[in-house]
Amino acid sequence: MIKILAACVIGAALAGGLAFVGTTVATEASSSAEPVNRSLYNYGDR
Amino acid sequence: MSGAGRTRPPDRPADPGAAGAAPRTRTAARIARLLPWAVGAATGALALGPALGPGFVLRYDMVAVPTPPLSAVTLGGGGGFPRAVPSDAVLGALGLLLPGDAAQALLLMAVFVLGGAGAGRLVPAGRAGAAGEAAARAAAAVFYVWNPFVAERLLLGQWAMLLGYAGLPWVAAAAARLAAAHRPAGPRDVARLVPALLPAAIGGFSGMVLSALVGLPAAVLGGRSAARALRAGGAVAAAVLLLSLPWLVPALGSGARTDPAAVGLFAARADTPFGAAGSLLSLGGIWNAHAVPAWYGLPVPAACRLTLSAAAVVGWVWLVRRGGAAGYGAGVSVAAAAGLAVALAGTTGPGQHALSALIGLWPGFGPLRDGQLYVAPLALLQAAGIGGAVLWACGAAPGARRRAGGGGHGEREAPGEPLISSQADSAPPAPHGFTRLWTTAVPTLRRRLRLPEAGGTGGPGGAERPHAAGAAATAPARRAPGACAPFAAGGRGASERAGALLGAALALAPLALLPGLLWGAAGRLEPVGYPPEWHRVQSLVDGDPRPGRVLVLPWSAYRGLDWRADGRRVVVLDPATKLFDRRTVWNDDLRVGDGGRVRVAEGEDPLARRVERLHAAQPGIRRYTRALGAMGVRYILVERRAAGGPAGTGSEAALGPLGGENRFSPGAAGPVAVHDGARLLLLEVPDRHVDPPEDGLTGLEASAWFVTVGAIIWSLGESGSSLVSRRAGPSPGAVSRKENPT
Repeated sequence: MIKILAACVIGAALAGGLAFVGTTVATEASSSAEPVNRSLYNYGDR
Repeated sequence: MSGAGRTRPPDRPADPGAAGAAPRTRTAARIARLLPWAVGAATGALALGPALGPGFVLRYDMVAVPTPPLSAVTLGGGGGFPRAVPSDAVLGALGLLLPGDAAQALLLMAVFVLGGAGAGRLVPAGRAGAAGEAAARAAAAVFYVWNPFVAERLLLGQWAMLLGYAGLPWVAAAAARLAAAHRPAGPRDVARLVPALLPAAIGGFSGMVLSALVGLPAAVLGGRSAARALRAGGAVAAAVLLLSLPWLVPALGSGARTDPAAVGLFAARADTPFGAAGSLLSLGGIWNAHAVPAWYGLPVPAACRLTLSAAAVVGWVWLVRRGGAAGYGAGVSVAAAAGLAVALAGTTGPGQHALSALIGLWPGFGPLRDGQLYVAPLALLQAAGIGGAVLWACGAAPGARRRAGGGGHGEREAPGEPLISSQADSAPPAPHGFTRLWTTAVPTLRRRLRLPEAGGTGGPGGAERPHAAGAAATAPARRAPGACAPFAAGGRGASERAGALLGAALALAPLALLPGLLWGAAGRLEPVGYPPEWHRVQSLVDGDPRPGRVLVLPWSAYRGLDWRADGRRVVVLDPATKLFDRRTVWNDDLRVGDGGRVRVAEGEDPLARRVERLHAAQPGIRRYTRALGAMGVRYILVERRAAGGPAGTGSEAALGPLGGENRFSPGAAGPVAVHDGARLLLLEVPDRHVDPPEDGLTGLEASAWFVTVGAIIWSLGESGSSLVSRRAGPSPGAVSRKENPT
């Protein structure tokens, strides 16, 4: 039980840390996918 | 809660550690019970991240405003399709106690906490012991709230629907409990269903549709006889109807219609390399390409997610065949299959024609056009299946545990409580097909890998040799409490390690395979503050006691807001549509880009259609003002930046008669400016033109609320619960292991 909890906590911390760094770096790239420079926006695009 | 020692059977071998076993088991059971809640909270914090801080998260349909109104309009009055009833009313009610942004954060966290806890509690303990049980429940909880369905719906801003999604495991458990009861369903059973349906009731019509999709088959297929199944189904239908009244009554009287041509626009699509079917099976496939998490379509993670989903389905089959999903297994299976069929139907030509015909027949079928919505029961199935896979890795037989003094099906054996299966008492069916292949291949593989033989636990196929039932029942006598069951005597250490490793891996796999949901969905759910002008306009309009509606211009529903001033724009439903305590009129047509052109799904609000026709007639400013007043419009709110697009973008046309030469300066002949700021222009229609509208609740609508709220209060009193099922018997920790099957 303790092993599982420890594994979960350590793994989550590692995954969270890595993802946080990754997402911080890549936020600009991901947001560029949003439609910009339009005054009237679609509900979405297929 | 009492310890296992209290009911330790006399044939149990002496254990030097037995003196400490009871408290250890109690603690472990408590951890196992609380772990899904903690996991839900942790995943919620990880997913939402900055969204939990000060400010409002605005994205597509997710709109929260400062001082959210709680008015007759948010309760369903004023006409139009009550798409945000009662979710906006709940937000408004919470806003009486909390700041608007805190209320929004609370509701978003509720999605993760309730969903994770509900999914975790669905997983039975079986013979896994406390460690295996905890691992299985944690894996199920994580999977249920951290999957493409949740990520995409969150990115589309559908928090209210997600509340209904979070309630699905509770609904399945409650329906199964009802169906498994010894006595026929009655009014008191409806009362016990209502708390489980509360999240969906807050979410509104989408959540209730999903709840009915799961709850009805679970109740009907879990019944002991046809008559009881029908009564249980009737009880579920009655509870769903009771809690749907606040939006159902206004919807039936709204005259709203659904555009059948929109089926193709909102059908599921391929957002992974595996086509629409593969995307749906891995719980993705939302219609909007901008609601897809970052790094989602990369082939390797997508392949891993699809594999994980396939493994979850195999785990589910094993769980069901071993009786670990007693009561709700068949219902959730049917719901998942039906939901997947609806989602897939929209991806084919004949399916789209059929759905369009249905919607044309009756607008009530309109929700079917958003096909991907209906993979929600499949997500529930897969989450429980992941838990089943962990139990299997622990060598657990989920249906083989029995309470002291209990037997067969009953209310105490319902999901959310330790599950007991009557299948454990009888010899399982002879293996066949895949099961037979599994039961022959796995022992061979184990022998070749020099792994110890299974202690009567079976494989994902769930079949054992008929004589193995007794061996399975006696296996726990050879292990310490709280340990994963060994694959064989003497193999406990290896089995525990393997089970713990797989459990931890399966619990973390969803996070690793869907990193785009982390920390505010990779920055897409960052909160913003409303510019001061918005507060000013809100107070001006809300401070006016005279009745009258607000027309929102430009005549387009979605805006690109850049309030963070970091060069990024977030597409969101115009917050002005929810800003005021009175009826707003806005263009609810849905524009969707499809293959380089924009297609429009006609909106549902009849009043908006009247304004649209007025704009098309291009009246002069004087006639326009009078016509708006006749429709009950008192204020016109113009968002300057949205209206200030370059020529040719349609922004001028979207201002109606206020565009062109009259732009923002209608003069004495038209409405009068009461606020003229850099961002917003608020115009007031002269009082003499305004025909005061009746936007209050009708008697029928008020009665619907009275009935629903009364039913909720009555049910909470009857069930003695807020959401969690009443613990009718001993807690899981009190369960004695039946050491001797005889």
